[in-house]
Amino acid sequence: MKEARTPGLRRPMLSDRVQEAVAAYLFLAPYLFSLVVFFAYAFVRTLYFSFTQYDLFNPPTWVGLRNYVALLTEPRFLTALQNSITFSVVVTAAQTAFALMLALALNQKLRGITFFRAAYYMPSVASSVVITLIFIWLYQRAGAINYLLTMALVYRRVLLVFLAGTAVLQVAMVLYERRRGQPASPLEPSLLVTAMLLAGAATAALWVAGVVTPVEGVQPVSIPWLNTRRRWPDGPISAPIPLEAIMLLNTWTTAPTFMLLYLAGLQEIPRELYEAASVDGASPWQQFRHITLPQLRHVTFLVVTLGLIGTLQMFDQVAVIGDQAPLESVITLAYYVYSNVFPGGAVPRVGQAAAAAMTLAVLTLVVVLIQRKVVER
Amino acid sequence: MSDAIARRRWARAGAIYLLLLFFSILFMGPLLFAVLSSLKDNPAEWPPRLDPPQLHWRNWVAAYRLGRAGGGSGWFGAFAPGAVVPFEVTYEVPAELAAQGIELPQVVVPRRVPGAGPGAVRTGPFAADYAEVVGPSIASRQEHPDGSVTVTYRFEVRHTGGITVDRLPVDVEVPRGYRFVEATLYPNRMERLGRVQSWNSITPGVIPYIFYNYTRVFGENYSRTTGRNLFLTWIGNSLFVATAKVLTTVTFASMAGYALARLRFPGRNVIFVVMLFSMMVPSQVTFISNYLVLRDGIFGLSRLWGMPTLLNSFTGLILSGLVGASAVFIMKQFFESLPKELEESARIDGASRGTIFRRIVLPLARPALGAVTILTFQGAWNEFFWPLVVLTSPQDKYVLMVGLSTFRRAYGAVGFDWGPLLAGAVVAALPVVILFVVFQRYFVEGISFSGLKG
Repeated sequence: MKEARTPGLRRPMLSDRVQEAVAAYLFLAPYLFSLVVFFAYAFVRTLYFSFTQYDLFNPPTWVGLRNYVALLTEPRFLTALQNSITFSVVVTAAQTAFALMLALALNQKLRGITFFRAAYYMPSVASSVVITLIFIWLYQRAGAINYLLTMALVYRRVLLVFLAGTAVLQVAMVLYERRRGQPASPLEPSLLVTAMLLAGAATAALWVAGVVTPVEGVQPVSIPWLNTRRRWPDGPISAPIPLEAIMLLNTWTTAPTFMLLYLAGLQEIPRELYEAASVDGASPWQQFRHITLPQLRHVTFLVVTLGLIGTLQMFDQVAVIGDQAPLESVITLAYYVYSNVFPGGAVPRVGQAAAAAMTLAVLTLVVVLIQRKVVER
Repeated sequence: MSDAIARRRWARAGAIYLLLLFFSILFMGPLLFAVLSSLKDNPAEWPPRLDPPQLHWRNWVAAYRLGRAGGGSGWFGAFAPGAVVPFEVTYEVPAELAAQGIELPQVVVPRRVPGAGPGAVRTGPFAADYAEVVGPSIASRQEHPDGSVTVTYRFEVRHTGGITVDRLPVDVEVPRGYRFVEATLYPNRMERLGRVQSWNSITPGVIPYIFYNYTRVFGENYSRTTGRNLFLTWIGNSLFVATAKVLTTVTFASMAGYALARLRFPGRNVIFVVMLFSMMVPSQVTFISNYLVLRDGIFGLSRLWGMPTLLNSFTGLILSGLVGASAVFIMKQFFESLPKELEESARIDGASRGTIFRRIVLPLARPALGAVTILTFQGAWNEFFWPLVVLTSPQDKYVLMVGLSTFRRAYGAVGFDWGPLLAGAVVAALPVVILFVVFQRYFVEGISFSGLKG
């Protein structure tokens, strides 16, 4: 290409490469300002603060590793660290599985799929403050979640009869189909719909006949979801109930985002793979296990990485819930850092906060590196 | 046989739709329930109903008529000088009480402030000071065979002063045992075991009747120092900051993304690695220094335009968030997917890099620019942590999310006044939800750009 250029068009003063570099840095200037001042400088400075004692007003004094040592013995930091890790692992696992499930359900050629996709994505669109406020309301003692649980208790017999009926009918129909020589998987959807309809009709009939009745005299469920220090389950592996309430809400809001990534990934899997597999007689589960999952490996890597990064930073929910839950039950590393820099009336402990922030950063980077190693293998 | 296959296919589609519907309820249900409940007088009622009186057309008609009677318009009611508001309430009196004679209820226009939140500290003209209750009297009575009586009382509220008041609250108290049946307008609350029927306003007009909690959010929150309407101010602030961020981000991210995708220069890889790194590091790591940088006016630079500090200023908030790494990343990915030929031939024709960027590359980048615009607006509108750090006082400097988060304390100090809280949350979610419904394509594209192709 360069040979084709007429010499007259070349600027005489600067070589093309220098020109290109100058142009590039002009294009990049605003972003570099952001990146250097508000990221690189900030990161180095936090690292420096983590070795000092500093209160935002008087100049920082060097204390070496003392902040890090102090953190190891501070109960609140250890609680925050434990909460952050538990939260991150559980939510990432739950939302990844849930996102994949949603994407599989949505990956159909049916009318109205875009509507459903939009409906599922709605919780991801709204802000965390809005969602958290709504969930504080749902989690009240006399709130909708406890109400639904109460209703489940009241109608437990009806529900049980319906579910048992569905299961029995499904088994019967699958066995019947197989005896007729028709292939039928245990969860064959067409049979399941029939089973549910029949079981629903039977349950309704039994209810009207007075054989199956709602339980009377059920006390309203009044689980305190937020305002409690209790942990669940009992035992060595447990988490505070308020933190678990936030896990639930977080999974609910972020799973749809990752669903979109999985959906895009699913649409890129070549159809021929499935066609070849069904010719070879692979069951849907085998196809999922040996085609879908391996083909989605890179998406899963991305989803898990983004999930871990996102969940380790969880702050908004804790800040909005505020005194609705005991601090020890919900505090995360991110909130620990914030509350030490701006402790209300007390003197800011910036050094300690910076050390905790570096712990958070290192944790994030380690997580990403481990992920990379796993995928490369 | 083919019939059986067709039937199977239908049943399978039905099963999938059932599953999809189930998930829709799971994801939309809580949000729709919150929107519905934001209309209720008491969103924390037990058991929660799905048909609040605010959604009955009969009450809309009554609210319109009463709004007119109060001297306001039918849509926005008032209690204006010269108004005469007729009102009827019907009770059922059980036989043993009816035998002792039917008593008249007590009708009071109370001096009531709305709710437990900021509205409670407002003093203002009270309808009680200008209202005169005429009656009540018995308008009709119907005796039933079992001795019980259905009685309808009628009263009028007249305006006697010279000042228009926005609402006319009324309490009607009946003897113990009388059971409320119906009224010209359905009461907002039953108090004292059903003995008191209480209305927020008997001259509401349609909109304040249905959206009572919304009128409270917009009408109650005033700054104590400047007297400005806080909720409107916060919405304005959020709009301003989000718009500014969209403009800077779209411009600077496309420039930076183009340089990283197309130009060769020393330091390119270093910048790219630092950029990826910056996307991983939580903002809680960098905010300490960023707070100090803004406090000192970006190394004293802001003094040049007369601002000693950039804390509590939108300038600071915008300057510190000029362009995000993820936007640069999306643009870089997009430019790399474009064919190079156009740019190369323009280069041969002697066009400068700036011209190529403006005339050739940017027009092609419309889909990516759309995605960046939408995602940046959403991010800026929903952002909470950094504005919480930068904007602390006075209250009229807050952006909407920071302001909304203070509602939990403002309306939750004594018990919870959930109506305005939910209404505020719904209003705050509305802009991005509308944006999402209209520009759904860009959301989806943006997410797959930033994710998959990376």
